Amino acid sequence: MTSDTSTLPLSAQEMGEMLSAATQDLFTSMLGIEVETVSEYEDEGDPFDGVLSLIGITGRVVGTGTLICSAPAACDLSSKFLMTEFASVDEQVLDAVGELTNMIIGGFKNVLESHFGRLQMSIPSVIHGCNISTHKTKADVAVGLRCVYAEGEIRLKVGLAASRD
Amino acid sequence: MKEPPSLLIVDDSTAIRKILLRVLNQTGITLGDVFEAGDGKEALKVLEGKQISLVLSDINMPNMDGIELLRTLRAAPQWKTLPVVLITTEGGQGRVEEAAELGATSYVRKPFSADQLRDKLASLLAS
Repeated sequence: MTSDTSTLPLSAQEMGEMLSAATQDLFTSMLGIEVETVSEYEDEGDPFDGVLSLIGITGRVVGTGTLICSAPAACDLSSKFLMTEFASVDEQVLDAVGELTNMIIGGFKNVLESHFGRLQMSIPSVIHGCNISTHKTKADVAVGLRCVYAEGEIRLKVGLAASRD
Repeated sequence: MKEPPSLLIVDDSTAIRKILLRVLNQTGITLGDVFEAGDGKEALKVLEGKQISLVLSDINMPNMDGIELLRTLRAAPQWKTLPVVLITTEGGQGRVEEAAELGATSYVRKPFSADQLRDKLASLLAS
């Protein structure tokens, strides 16, 4: 999923590259595994079961970074992150997924600051459930990536718009 | 005989607190008590009346963030020289400079490699 409808000095392709680099940095340094960005994806708003983690970005640009994965992938990534086995999604898994999102979107935001100056991030909000659906991002520039590692995959989305302030 | 160092880990993520505890235990240095706090306000409560040797703190936290915690510590005579390491996703040069000006002892960017962090903490604790 890419959309690029504004005068923001950043293309969806550049955003995708920044997001992919931040994801690879996290996977190799903290999880010790390789991850590959295999495709962009279009968010059709189809309902899914699993875990969704959201972080807001504010400053000269505003927007949201989102990580979506299945419950087994959330457990697997948390197990690798904390070196503790998780068979089901619990508070520790939700906290771990929130922190993984924080580090990916944080890495992305650090590069974004070279374009837009200092930006702030919210703390993560993490949702676990069934039949979750998300609406298309109303953003000037948006990108969605599907990233695959040996045991599973995550989907990442970032949408940004110029601040009205 | 020198007391083993006591530490305070400040992060709203229990996952990161757990990882830092594991890394600390891998330094090979005998540690005293290791306390935990979920934000800056909790950290100040923990610090009251305790002899803490080193604080490891996140920046982005609810209630009181790591920068405000650092500012508070540096303004208090009893904590003016307490070593504080900021461990954070905030990697922009402006943030690093601001932290250094406020008196942060060191700055570690997340994501970090456990090996690098272990070596850094071992070096700080040894000194």
